[in-house]
Amino acid sequence: MVTHPVLRAPLALVFGFVSPLLPAQELFEESIRPVLVERCFACHNPIVLEGGLDLTNAAGFAKGAATGPLLSPEARERSRLLAALSYEERVKMPPDGRLAPEAIDAFRVWVEMGAPWPDAGRVSTSSPSDVNPGFTKEQRSFWAFQPMSDPKPPPVAGPWPRGAIDRFLLAKLEAEGLEPAPPVEKLSLLRRVTYDLTGLPPTKDEIRNFLSDDSPAAFKTVVERLLASPRYGERWGRHWLDVARYADSTGSDEDVRYPNGWRYRDYVIRAFNEDLPYGRFVQEQVAGDLLPAEDGSEVNVQGLVATGFLALGPKALSQQDKTRMLYDIYDEQLDVVSKAFLGLTVTCARCHDHKFDPIPTRDYYSMVSIFARTESFANDKRRDISRWSRPLVPESIYEIYRRWQNLILHKEADIQNVIDEALARRNERLVPQIDAYMLAAERIYGGGEDSGTVASETGLDPALLESWVAYLEPREIPRPHMAAWREASPRARADVARAYRDQDRADLSEWNAKVRERWKEILAARPEIDEPPPTRPEILAGEVRFFYGVHISGGPFAVSEDDYENVFSAETIARLRQLEEQLEVLEKAASPMPPMASSVAEGEPVLQKVFLRGDHRNPGEDAPMGFLSILGGGHPLPKLSTSGRFELAQWLTAPEHPLTARVMVNRVWQWHFGEGLVRTSSNFGKMGEVPSHPDLLDYLARQLIASGWSIKDLHRRILHSSAYRMSSDTSPEAHLRDPENRFLSHFNRRRLDVEEIRDSLLAIDGSLDFTMGGTLDERVGNEPENNSGRLSLDPSTFYRRTVYLPLRRANLPPFLGLFDFGDAVNSLAKRSSTNVSPQALFMMNSTFVAERADNLAASLLEETDGDAPRDIDRAYLVILNRPATSEEIESGSGYVERFTNSFPGVSAERDAWKSFYKILMASNEFIYID
Amino acid sequence: MYRKLSITPVTRRGLLRGAAYGFGLFGLSDLLADRTGLAAATQNPLAPREPHFEPRAKRVIFLFMHGGPSSIDIFDPKPRLYRDHGKPLPIKRPLAFDDEHPPGPLMKPLWDFHPGGKSGIPVSDLFPEVRDVVDELCIIRSMVGEGVDHGSALLQTFTGSFTFTRPSMGSWTLYGLGSENENLPGFITIKPTLSHGGAKNWSSAFLPGAYQGTAIGNAGLEVEALRAEPIEYLVQKELAGDQQRYELEMLENINRKHAEMRRYDPELEARIQSFELAARMQVEAPEAFDVETESIATKKLYGLDDPVTADFAWQCLLARRLVERDVRYIQCTHSYKWDQHSNLFAGHIKNAREVDRPIAGLIRDLKSRDLLKDTLVIWGGEFGRTPVSEGGDGRDHNPYGYTIWMAGGGVKAGFVYGATDDIGYHAVENRMHIHDFHATVLHLLGIDHERLTYRFSGRDFRLTDVAGVVAEDILA
Repeated sequence: MVTHPVLRAPLALVFGFVSPLLPAQELFEESIRPVLVERCFACHNPIVLEGGLDLTNAAGFAKGAATGPLLSPEARERSRLLAALSYEERVKMPPDGRLAPEAIDAFRVWVEMGAPWPDAGRVSTSSPSDVNPGFTKEQRSFWAFQPMSDPKPPPVAGPWPRGAIDRFLLAKLEAEGLEPAPPVEKLSLLRRVTYDLTGLPPTKDEIRNFLSDDSPAAFKTVVERLLASPRYGERWGRHWLDVARYADSTGSDEDVRYPNGWRYRDYVIRAFNEDLPYGRFVQEQVAGDLLPAEDGSEVNVQGLVATGFLALGPKALSQQDKTRMLYDIYDEQLDVVSKAFLGLTVTCARCHDHKFDPIPTRDYYSMVSIFARTESFANDKRRDISRWSRPLVPESIYEIYRRWQNLILHKEADIQNVIDEALARRNERLVPQIDAYMLAAERIYGGGEDSGTVASETGLDPALLESWVAYLEPREIPRPHMAAWREASPRARADVARAYRDQDRADLSEWNAKVRERWKEILAARPEIDEPPPTRPEILAGEVRFFYGVHISGGPFAVSEDDYENVFSAETIARLRQLEEQLEVLEKAASPMPPMASSVAEGEPVLQKVFLRGDHRNPGEDAPMGFLSILGGGHPLPKLSTSGRFELAQWLTAPEHPLTARVMVNRVWQWHFGEGLVRTSSNFGKMGEVPSHPDLLDYLARQLIASGWSIKDLHRRILHSSAYRMSSDTSPEAHLRDPENRFLSHFNRRRLDVEEIRDSLLAIDGSLDFTMGGTLDERVGNEPENNSGRLSLDPSTFYRRTVYLPLRRANLPPFLGLFDFGDAVNSLAKRSSTNVSPQALFMMNSTFVAERADNLAASLLEETDGDAPRDIDRAYLVILNRPATSEEIESGSGYVERFTNSFPGVSAERDAWKSFYKILMASNEFIYID
Repeated sequence: MYRKLSITPVTRRGLLRGAAYGFGLFGLSDLLADRTGLAAATQNPLAPREPHFEPRAKRVIFLFMHGGPSSIDIFDPKPRLYRDHGKPLPIKRPLAFDDEHPPGPLMKPLWDFHPGGKSGIPVSDLFPEVRDVVDELCIIRSMVGEGVDHGSALLQTFTGSFTFTRPSMGSWTLYGLGSENENLPGFITIKPTLSHGGAKNWSSAFLPGAYQGTAIGNAGLEVEALRAEPIEYLVQKELAGDQQRYELEMLENINRKHAEMRRYDPELEARIQSFELAARMQVEAPEAFDVETESIATKKLYGLDDPVTADFAWQCLLARRLVERDVRYIQCTHSYKWDQHSNLFAGHIKNAREVDRPIAGLIRDLKSRDLLKDTLVIWGGEFGRTPVSEGGDGRDHNPYGYTIWMAGGGVKAGFVYGATDDIGYHAVENRMHIHDFHATVLHLLGIDHERLTYRFSGRDFRLTDVAGVVAEDILA
């Protein structure tokens, strides 16, 4: 459970005594290097270079920090190194907790020895190109791998630019001979920004307030209101959930539910609402379980839940090659990490060096080893993924729950034991009569005799005899195991029946012995109440078909649960009752299941090899843990006892990392403008596109970091630009010179996405339920094949926002797919936006849309008392978020009037209004944002 | 370019006249006839596209036997299994689904084989009706896959990959060729399974959503429940035809005004068109799904009159009606019934009875309507079953050598391709990996599987990944 590196001093320090007599090398390797690795390298490495200090090699150590060397030759014991470690002065290192006293002692001894660094001669210099000299100059100079530049907004003239963003954009536009489009109308801007930030339309009050606010700060007021609304996180969290390929089940073959997956979704929504610094957001999703809780609690609930990012991927659980299955899962985890944070397709390098980007297969396996050392499964069979979750309470509390559960399981075992024994005795009693029953049954179904007569003649139980008749009667499809009986001549029948009986007796005694033996073991293990009871043996039906049919699977001697009362002795029944009462008491008293999260944990160390051609049966050279060589992360991380996720999280969020900030800034830009500055927002590699405005990208990336990774700060920068307020209308020049609008001479019109469509429709008639969080599906596991429980819940039966619909990965709600939701399997950089006729059918014919229109018709008719112009105006406000023009009022009234007159009926008027509102909901103006 | 629809007072008589002809026959359909030089037409992802070369087949019907029928009990007779019945498996067992128990002994076929048709190709007594049409079949006895569990095997059969979510074969087909009937979906899967990958088996994955298969219900539903509305939202339940036409004209009017004020946006026009297409689909699709109009003889031919065969008969008959209407790719699913780890004798008899007549009926019907020549019919499961027994008279999964067959669509008729070893465990001659199967199907459709690519996430994807060889020998 305890996995934070802070709490993991190297064993030598915990148990050993550091003697000054140890040879220098041994001291260094035993006690110094491990501490440097675990506690210092994350920041003091050649990439991050915190404080200008690189502690990964002797040269870096000797050079010291930007502020000076670590050792003072005159007075070793007063060196800055020891001062920082001792926590006695201003600079306290490591910042996340003082080293154990033994460790500090070891450093003191080492410093007194002159701080010998054994391999100083070998590792004197180090640069990325040394680590992998195979990269070409072109690869090394590829734009995405260069440090972020620090561009100044170009000087441009005129009143258009409001800030840096506009200056970068305008400079390009001017260079291309283009002009920015004029500002969009006020209400279109309100509609644009409200959908953009919340995924919902502005309400009529919001429209009224904005229209009446003529102050220069009117738009700012709107932006701040929207950013503070919880609806914001629901919209922007959903953007991130696309990238995180979030869903609530494993998909692939078994599609087992992740019963706690929703906590990750809620975490993402909350993270956006609370403006969790993006750096922290990244760290928590990669290694939240290894970070201390921000509020100092014992369990980092938020961090554990955040690692759902890794845990909630698609998994092919029934794959029989289990090693392959596991490496497929690690591959999937690396895939989502590298696409989401780095904008790189690292997993292309699984079988061969990346074809286009400088990512050698060795780097792939160096990174995969991190996930191979991370656990996301519960047991060896590794199928029951749905029960793999981690408690969000301290271990001690979870332990109490677990013990209660074991008590319950043991009590259930006791009950099963009594039943098994009663069944065994009953079967032993009945078996000798099998041949008698068979022969008697044959007289009935074969000889046509009366069953009552046969029963009384033979003295057999009439009910059991009936069951034997049913079992032995000839069937349309004959059973192979009854062939001997079927084909027996009348003379041989008695012998054959005896043979069946004897075989059955043997099978029964074997089975009973097996069950009784197991019960002995189970009861013997009883003091170990800490563990759940061992399982009963399973019976393989096919091996003992007759026995299985007769005694177990609904055959003549089988006993169903409902029959226990009739066939068991009074003593047995009394015992069962007593045990069941005890079970009930236990179940009532047991502590409830604590909250759990689909999370990952640290796993066993792995000596990762490169798998040649991606095949785990074909291991090649060692692939020590590391990151991407091209980004300077190829130095094998010195041996860690941990998975390396903590270090990965640090590496990703180092301020100098050339990709993390750029990639996120670009995503945010894309979600605002429809296209990113790099249009392939999850591929910054060679096959991706180059940025249209590289300087702007770097400028914003630097601003993001400077703002403490505040996403809301980034929103404000973008929303308060002139660019964001441009009209979406295309000028003839722009259409001619820049048909794809790469230089952003106008805003990009966009179709609402599926969440916006459904949520808006529900908002229109006021039926949208704003309850946040939690799950709508409490079930666990999965249903039998082709059971409709395998479907996702039907969206039309809920009124919560679409982001809260549970997502069964293998069978997503078809409605979502209809409007381009994506597959929730691949990390999705950008939704597509299609216009196909099945979507039109939904608008025309679905009960969902008709209901919304009907409700609106009812409420408006009541509200305005049949004042048609007011109804129409109100409907335009609610559906299209603007007042109707007089022409529209006229044509709308005409439509309703003619519809009413042409189709008379009891509810003609309401039907006419309903039809008119349906039209507005189906209109292009509704589904497109200018 | 367009006839402007102005809202004029509609007389009751006029509306009635419209109703008499059925909504969609004038007005909106006029507009469709008028799309000259339409910019948006090029945007239609389903517009028909030229194949790479002359196709042998224009459409596909895949009859999917979910669960894995036992090839060695149906199409691939193995004399040695009679001889060595009860003996231990003479080879090392490859990765099995049930790897925890040792393999059972070799088990002889549970049905007798007899030669069928003029070709004399043997088919067991399990499929007597199919045996009668064996002269039309191209039997491939050497299929090879990698998934020993259903999920992997289904996903690989339909998408080529059992690890990742990839576009399905039907989606690739539609992406490659487009649809020739804009009033019906181009890729329809009838009563598909919800398990073992579920919708991933007919998903378009990263291809645009327009190439997604359209499901007619699912395997868990009865045919009766699907008749009323086979495709979601297809039926207008409240408005009469003339009312809806009236509504759609107003919608178009509003949308045109909106579009006129916005320049250079083909999407707005495309969406206007999507309503016109939807209206036509609403009129024409129900007719396509209505099997009641078929003659009694045809219904009998498929077994629609017998409760045992009715379900799959309905699927097969529907498939024929859909290929008649140029639906590109259709799948019928006999869902998850063939997985007999034990009780194979009884189970396979029951299953075969449900599908034998409908399948033979489909082949005969397609043949008599001259549709078989350019319709490729494929029959098969996700794998076959082992020559060793399991659980008494059951058999485990065997993806290492199993049988599927094709018919029509430019494959050799009355032909056997490939062979398994003498116990029927591994394909040894003319092995056809699933990738090769995909390459061959695309080839029959006039598509070069290496050139049918889609750029996603920085690289070009294919149905056949980096593999696939066309089985030239089976081409007629």
